[in-house]
Amino acid sequence: MNRFFLSFSVFIAAQSLLSSCSQLPGLNSEPAAEVVYALGSRDGFTSPLAGALKPACSALEFTGISFDLTGVHRRQLAPLAADPATKKDRYLIAGYAPPGLPEDFARALSERRAQAARQYLIESGVEAARLQTVGFGFDSAPNAPGANVVVVYRQ
Amino acid sequence: MSTLRLIFLLLCFSVAFLPASAATLPAWLKFWKGKDAQSALKPIPSLTLGAFTGGTGESARHSLVKELNSTRQFRLTNVDPDFTVTANSVGGRVNGRLVDRTGKEMLDRTYAAPGLDENLKAFADDLIFAVTGKPGLATSHIVFVSDKTGTKQIYLCDSNGQDLQQVTHHGHGCVSPTLSMDGTTIAYTSYANGFPVVQVLDLGQGWERTVTDTPGSSFGASFAPDGERLAVVMSFLGNPEIFVTDLNANSAACISDSTGAPSSPAWHPDGQQVIFADDRGDGPRLYVTEVPKSNEAEAKLIRWRTGYSFCADPEFSPNADSVAFTARVSGELAVVVKSWPRGSSRVIQKGGASHPSWSPDGQYLCYSQSGTLYLHHLSTGQRRAILSGHGQITEPRWMK
Repeated sequence: MNRFFLSFSVFIAAQSLLSSCSQLPGLNSEPAAEVVYALGSRDGFTSPLAGALKPACSALEFTGISFDLTGVHRRQLAPLAADPATKKDRYLIAGYAPPGLPEDFARALSERRAQAARQYLIESGVEAARLQTVGFGFDSAPNAPGANVVVVYRQ
Repeated sequence: MSTLRLIFLLLCFSVAFLPASAATLPAWLKFWKGKDAQSALKPIPSLTLGAFTGGTGESARHSLVKELNSTRQFRLTNVDPDFTVTANSVGGRVNGRLVDRTGKEMLDRTYAAPGLDENLKAFADDLIFAVTGKPGLATSHIVFVSDKTGTKQIYLCDSNGQDLQQVTHHGHGCVSPTLSMDGTTIAYTSYANGFPVVQVLDLGQGWERTVTDTPGSSFGASFAPDGERLAVVMSFLGNPEIFVTDLNANSAACISDSTGAPSSPAWHPDGQQVIFADDRGDGPRLYVTEVPKSNEAEAKLIRWRTGYSFCADPEFSPNADSVAFTARVSGELAVVVKSWPRGSSRVIQKGGASHPSWSPDGQYLCYSQSGTLYLHHLSTGQRRAILSGHGQITEPRWMK
């Protein structure tokens, strides 16, 4: 009988502890809202449509219609933020989407991917004003560097 | 038992005679009849062409007969017509008149455009509007993108794919066009400076001005029914969002609240709501938002469930009872129409058909498929290619 009361007490104590955990800060709190940085002036930035630009890193390749950065993308972008010599450069981040998608959606998707890359670079220490984005969808074909990619051009 | 049999026989009797008494059904049973059945029973008005006088009168008669036959809105006959058309035409100028069977004048107007054909198209549209209350298609235009010259440029044609004209000649191309309700103004995205910028072009006056020269991308412009506002996608805030810009005040208000990829806004005919596609991580779906009347008011946003997991390019029908959009069906793009705000949906055309746009009378959809521009009659299901072999035709929009 005593064993039953002991087990019951332990059960109640465990329940109380678990329920109080949800009240503790940090254990069940809402994720912090992501700070989105507005774009600065586009003055002085050159479009890849207007002339040949040099990519600052290899193109970020996406699959399907996703716009989230993967670990591979982050590793490709990391040197741009880590190197003090390149940290002060300006970059145009251009998104491209494959043909076969609705045209307007392709523009939105490619812009959203470019913004995701910009957000990562800002959070890695690159000044927001040094980064511009543009989403071409598949409008710039046949000059596009390849569909479903984001290309970071050094300005 | 015999009572039950009697009730059963009475029920059979009433069901057998239901179609005959359909016209006098009580109000609560009217939904059985359906809108299509009502419109199908409506007789086609008959019309005769009376005297066509003047130097170009006979040419005017021939052209008008051709125009009216192509509209399928009238039955041309000389036997007991509902309406009679007469005209006087000198030097291509046309004075047209329409009377009903009682002799009551319904239309009397002079058409003084430079060409006879242009005048007769306007006359045909006025005849249709006077008789049916719906706009005609003869003077309506379709705007679209073609890469015929090597870069994407904006073109215009009429509802038969004729009267083709190139509207833009920008070096890096122009895309995402839309026409104002009256067809006098085009808004589109220009890559003239290498970046996407929304511009407005007045077709009559020829002037052009930039609406959005903001960082990031601007595209997907759509004229409000009042012609004074544009819904457009801009990304200068650090994320693509739908904005409504006032063309007179040069102000803009954000009406979406997206962390995804919103695109292709289109107005409800009441000018108070905007429908758009938004990919919030699970593919593009359709959302409808109210357009607040003041900056302080909050926009109410709802997700409109279509039954499809990939939807884009939505557009309300002119009477706002349906929405046409591009969906992915069995792995390929298709044009779908769904009743608004609720009701059934039907696939209009599979096989890569996309970017549907309603005709001003709501009876047709135009869309592009494999680079060809098609017109699709929604009641009969018949479709015809009105323009092909003109590069890759995409993004058609019909003026309303």
